[in-house]
Amino acid sequence: MGPTTETTTEPMAGPATSAPAPAKQPPTSGSTANQRKAQRGSATGLLANLALVLYFAFSLLPVLFIVALSLKTNAEQTTTYLWFTPTLENYQTVLGLGDGGSSYVRFFLASLATSTGAVLVSLLIGIPAAYAAARYRFKGSEDLMFTLLSFRFAPELVVIIPLGVIYQQIGLYDTIFGMVWVLQLVTMPLVVWILRSFFQDLPAELEEAALLDGYTRSQAFLKIVLPLVRPGIAAVCLLAFIFAWNNFIFPFTLTSGDAQTVTVSSLAFLGGNQVRFNLVAAGAVMAVLPPLVLALCIQRYLVRGLSFGAVKG
Amino acid sequence: MATIDVRSVRKKFGKLVALDDVSFSVNDGEFFCLLGPSGAGKTTTLKSIAGLVQPDSGEVWLAGQDAGDIEPNHRNLAMCFESYALYPQHNVFDNMASPLRSPVLRLPDDQVRERVGRTAEMLGVAHLLDRGVDQLSNGQRQRVALGRVLVRPANAYLLDEPLSHLDAKLRTSMRAELKRIAHGDLMTTTVYVTHDYVEALSLADRIGVIKEGRILQVGTPQQVWDTPETAFVAQAFGKPRISFVSGGLVSDNGTIRFISSDGAITVPVPHVEAAAGEPVRIGIRPRDLTLYTGAGPQPAGHERLDGVVYVLEHLGRQTEVTVRIGESLVSVVAPRNDVGGLTVDDKVSLLLDPARVHVFGDSDSDDGRRLSR
Amino acid sequence: MPLTAEAPPPRQDSADGASTAPLAEARRVSRRRKALRPYLLSVPAVLLCAGILYPFFLGVSYTFFDFSAQNPQPDVVGFENFATILASDEFWASARVTLLFALSATALETVLGVGVALLLNRSSLIDKLFERVLIVPLMVAPILAAIMWKLLLLPEVGWIRPIAEFFGVTGYNGTDSPVMAMVWAIVVDAWIFTPFVAIIALAGLRSLPKSPFEAASVDGASWWLTFRKLTLPMLWPYLLVAVIFRLMDNLKMFDVIFGLTSGGPGDATTTLQISAYLEAISYARYSRGLTYMFLLWALVFVISMILVKYLRRIQDRAAGV
Repeated sequence: MGPTTETTTEPMAGPATSAPAPAKQPPTSGSTANQRKAQRGSATGLLANLALVLYFAFSLLPVLFIVALSLKTNAEQTTTYLWFTPTLENYQTVLGLGDGGSSYVRFFLASLATSTGAVLVSLLIGIPAAYAAARYRFKGSEDLMFTLLSFRFAPELVVIIPLGVIYQQIGLYDTIFGMVWVLQLVTMPLVVWILRSFFQDLPAELEEAALLDGYTRSQAFLKIVLPLVRPGIAAVCLLAFIFAWNNFIFPFTLTSGDAQTVTVSSLAFLGGNQVRFNLVAAGAVMAVLPPLVLALCIQRYLVRGLSFGAVKG
Repeated sequence: MATIDVRSVRKKFGKLVALDDVSFSVNDGEFFCLLGPSGAGKTTTLKSIAGLVQPDSGEVWLAGQDAGDIEPNHRNLAMCFESYALYPQHNVFDNMASPLRSPVLRLPDDQVRERVGRTAEMLGVAHLLDRGVDQLSNGQRQRVALGRVLVRPANAYLLDEPLSHLDAKLRTSMRAELKRIAHGDLMTTTVYVTHDYVEALSLADRIGVIKEGRILQVGTPQQVWDTPETAFVAQAFGKPRISFVSGGLVSDNGTIRFISSDGAITVPVPHVEAAAGEPVRIGIRPRDLTLYTGAGPQPAGHERLDGVVYVLEHLGRQTEVTVRIGESLVSVVAPRNDVGGLTVDDKVSLLLDPARVHVFGDSDSDDGRRLSR
Repeated sequence: MPLTAEAPPPRQDSADGASTAPLAEARRVSRRRKALRPYLLSVPAVLLCAGILYPFFLGVSYTFFDFSAQNPQPDVVGFENFATILASDEFWASARVTLLFALSATALETVLGVGVALLLNRSSLIDKLFERVLIVPLMVAPILAAIMWKLLLLPEVGWIRPIAEFFGVTGYNGTDSPVMAMVWAIVVDAWIFTPFVAIIALAGLRSLPKSPFEAASVDGASWWLTFRKLTLPMLWPYLLVAVIFRLMDNLKMFDVIFGLTSGGPGDATTTLQISAYLEAISYARYSRGLTYMFLLWALVFVISMILVKYLRRIQDRAAGV
């Protein structure tokens, strides 16, 4: 920083010593400088806005495209036209409203069941662990936290292959419970790390005060701590749910029918003899909606959640 | 009500030694002040008593029994935290009612209302009972935190700087209020942590002075003022602070005299417990000196020190005069009238009663232990 | 139970003495039991970890066997799997593809993300609107994002061909060429995850102190100088979090590549995860697939350990420890 400040303070010396000269006509020189600055500001502002608009065009293009495609008829699905008569037929077909031959609703319910189950198990196990890690210094605490973090970073196939073998043996293959278990790899690190950061934000003296007021440790936790971290827990729930819902590789490899989820089922329309792009699109739109809606509810906590509590946001 | 015995408590946080062999006992119904600078271990001591901090070694005894295995919620102690530790999701009333509604007391609603109302009235927060904690000023929060303690009966009150965030006027009146509660019909054993010596002197039955995790002296306000055990304790009380002069002891016809390093100050110190030749420092409280203007006879038994005015600082009706004698600076507090036309570099004389001179060792290793009887 | 519960609630101060608890009645909890508390709270999580680590170690042990669907009673083959795989061109090709994809995607996402964050940090009206939209791609399941893009890129269905033709590009062929397949895979990954970097960078930008920037502006420092010497160093602890997450994720990215190209054309986008998938699931050669996976896992683990250590140092320094 040394050289920077030297060079930047240099120009300051100039005007300061020649102060009397501009004093004769300060309004004009000041206003032209301001105008120039304002002009430059508006020009860069325009460029910045243009860049933003371009980025968001890029960002929304696939979304708009898939929505449009999902509204096209079979005849129009292999055209790139924007002008077509929209139809909800594809959604009806995907949901099996017409002929009842679709299992999309079942996949949807399987997604719901596995994601909810995974979140509940993670909460039940994760809240005490996160609380212990935030409040106590004890041997192995960091080891546990980093073991959990390493789950987040581990390539999933490392456990999928042996887990597939085990699941086949003990009958957990293609079951909701099997999915809930393996999804802990996704939801558990998230829940524990984020909740620990929320617990750490609370001063320990609140619980100490409650203890001295005569409440037991569990009462202090339930009456004082839990209500204060409730927004955090809600945010973690939704985020964990989103990640469980969006997971693909676990249901793809460890289910085949009963516990298959929407992320996997969307592939189904791609294969087979008859490719139905519009049906793929309709299925994708419906599968994307739940996480999107949930995400909007917790935008405030998204930064902290996605960074595992490393960035408070 | 109960006695509190802290016995050789040690506590480390990582490498930091927070408490280093802390021992003291508080009698039943006594008001005990723990005085020390920040980081001295005052809060850790309080939390050890409360059971919130687990000592590495040593014991805390409450009411004559080892409290080591007793959970904080079963010790029946009330604590006022320096950070207030008010429950942010509750309003003022619920915060103050919390200990009364806890499983330990579980008072019926009407009594909770009555007690909270009375305590809030006393602390001047009665109009705030419906407010949320986040709508309070720091001073109001502190009074609510204090209210959460005073609202309930307890074996002992542990108060951690409970007046630190109040403005000067309120602090004085609250101090009086606390004194009334503490010495009134309640007589609850109280440990009061503060860094303000005035609070300690005015409130305490006894004071413990703590520094760097060690108790330097425990005594009544009179004792710690009159016979400070170390130079640090002497410095902790009084404003302006006690003046120190370094020098040595010499034997002069059987009486021992102190001579400052530069030889400019020499005072007989007959009551010292040290041999001649030892390096020492003497401490003189500014109010133990009088300014000698030359008018009238010099009182008998007083030593006269000559110097020049170094700094004048007016403190209302009194003036603190810092006098340079040789290379030493000595403060004296004099009535403003006596200071009259004095200005910097004027020659002045000071009168000193040798009996009021404190003699301390001059090594830092023992915090300057007291050498005078 | 303490006696206080039985004592009649006092009405007057003088009666308070009666309600203070005789400590002899107090419930005692030994030191050992107190020390045990955090462990008890962690037991379920530890059991869960064990439940996940067991298959992991089982998987690692499979790498020393010749386990496959054809050979369900496997024999120990020692390091033969490692030897053959490390000697094969396919492995090194996959490793190259993995690194190329992970590094390019992470770099692109970081640069774009910081750019978007800087643009959004001006807090004008347009920024507020865009900030809401920003996270949409991030919440789309990566596999669905890949499928959406796959359709978008299909010459006969998607909008990219007409757009390309509008800009005068001829011979557009989607992901048919090896180079373009990789490029599009990186673009799709960036489409999903740039917002991730952006929101973290934005949170970082908003937490920066104002005074150094005001000082720089008073000194007349140029925008670029301010960014390079002031913004970037102060933002680095935040950015590093984003980079670590992105690099780790991209090294093991499966959904995007599988959905978009399935590793093709040829093996142009066959990363280690895809190779392992093909070996273990498609060809049912479990031991070989796991050996691939174990090598990738080791790579990811080592890199993540180094980066997390570095991050802690940076954060400690930023916190002034």
